[in-house]
Amino acid sequence: MDQDLELLKRCLAGEGAAWEELLRAHTSKVYNLCYRFTGSAPQSEDLTQEVFIKIYQTLKSFDSSQGAFSTWLNRIARNHLVDHYRRTKRDRLTDSIEEKVEKIEQKPSGGRDPMAELESREVRELLQAALALLSPEMREAVILRDLQELDYQEIAQVLGVPEGTVKSRINRGRLELARIIKRMKGMKG
Amino acid sequence: MNHLEAVNQISEYLEKRLGPATRAEMESHLATCPECREMVEDVRQVMERCHMAEPLQPSPWLISRIIHATTGQRKPSWADRLRDSVRPLLQPRVAYGISMAVFSISFILHAANVNIRSLTLRDLNPGTWAYRANSKGHLLVARAEKYYYDLRVVYEIQNRLRELRNDQDEQRPRMQKKDSPGGAQGRSRQSSMELAAIPGFSRFSPNVGVSDVLSAESKRSLPR
Repeated sequence: MDQDLELLKRCLAGEGAAWEELLRAHTSKVYNLCYRFTGSAPQSEDLTQEVFIKIYQTLKSFDSSQGAFSTWLNRIARNHLVDHYRRTKRDRLTDSIEEKVEKIEQKPSGGRDPMAELESREVRELLQAALALLSPEMREAVILRDLQELDYQEIAQVLGVPEGTVKSRINRGRLELARIIKRMKGMKG
Repeated sequence: MNHLEAVNQISEYLEKRLGPATRAEMESHLATCPECREMVEDVRQVMERCHMAEPLQPSPWLISRIIHATTGQRKPSWADRLRDSVRPLLQPRVAYGISMAVFSISFILHAANVNIRSLTLRDLNPGTWAYRANSKGHLLVARAEKYYYDLRVVYEIQNRLRELRNDQDEQRPRMQKKDSPGGAQGRSRQSSMELAAIPGFSRFSPNVGVSDVLSAESKRSLPR
């Protein structure tokens, strides 16, 4: 985006306000990406901060001819998340589908709120739990396509794989997600 | 198109990314394959679910935190932190909870007869609270009981007076014939004796001359 490039130039010129503006434009997207991967709000905030520190340190290396700033940002965030996933793999070995369903059921329903909010929260929690059970490759493809709403070409750039691979991962990811959600629903009710 | 090819193209079919020829092949396969139809429906639901999931909002101070971590500027100020911590309190359920807590506390303080403006050390003793609340409760019950008996007495008096009036109406012709001076007085004396037999009447109105009231009433209602 032209606006991002303009902000980037001002950032490189040392203008603090431009960096703040850039953060305001992109923090929420990066945070959501992190949250979809980890399912934890505090962890996602830490990861978002780490991603932007990396961005800040490598701002000079951004090449606009290689793609949009948002694609570059997503690529850095995705690589950071993959590193994080590898680092914390051991902690997640005990997580099973039954535990995830139990966690969803144990959460208080929040009786004060309208049905729509409750439904939306249930959708979010079920989806989050199901996403966590996908393999990282399929998960990142589905998140970038269906939750971050990137197009196939952008996803291919972010993941560094051909577009055909992206299509295949998204399709397999959705099918797997559908199977997991079906199983979870079966266990709940 | 065979089953495996159809399964591999479900997403593209749902996103309308297939060419017309491939789409037609896909649709003719779906018409004959219930398993694929089910998978298409499942994937469609997953996509809907993803679109329904609202984006999450990070903490408001995250940007300040990142700025501080990158350029070393602008720590989240105390005002920012205070504003962010007060914001959840403004939600309806929290406000409702707080108002209920305030109501309960004020109710307890009132029942325990504690005056916050002139608080003494004795007022802080829960034993005193319990004693006062108990006394207040007993007083309330006694008042309610008295009110109930008062009402009952008034009701009985009204009934008796009504009966007396009826009796007098019936006996009026005879009274006119006999014109006995002690007749009405005798009847009112008898009625006051009946009223004295009402339970609780003498207890709650010991100083009131019921017979006086009744005789006055009888006199008023008697023909002159």
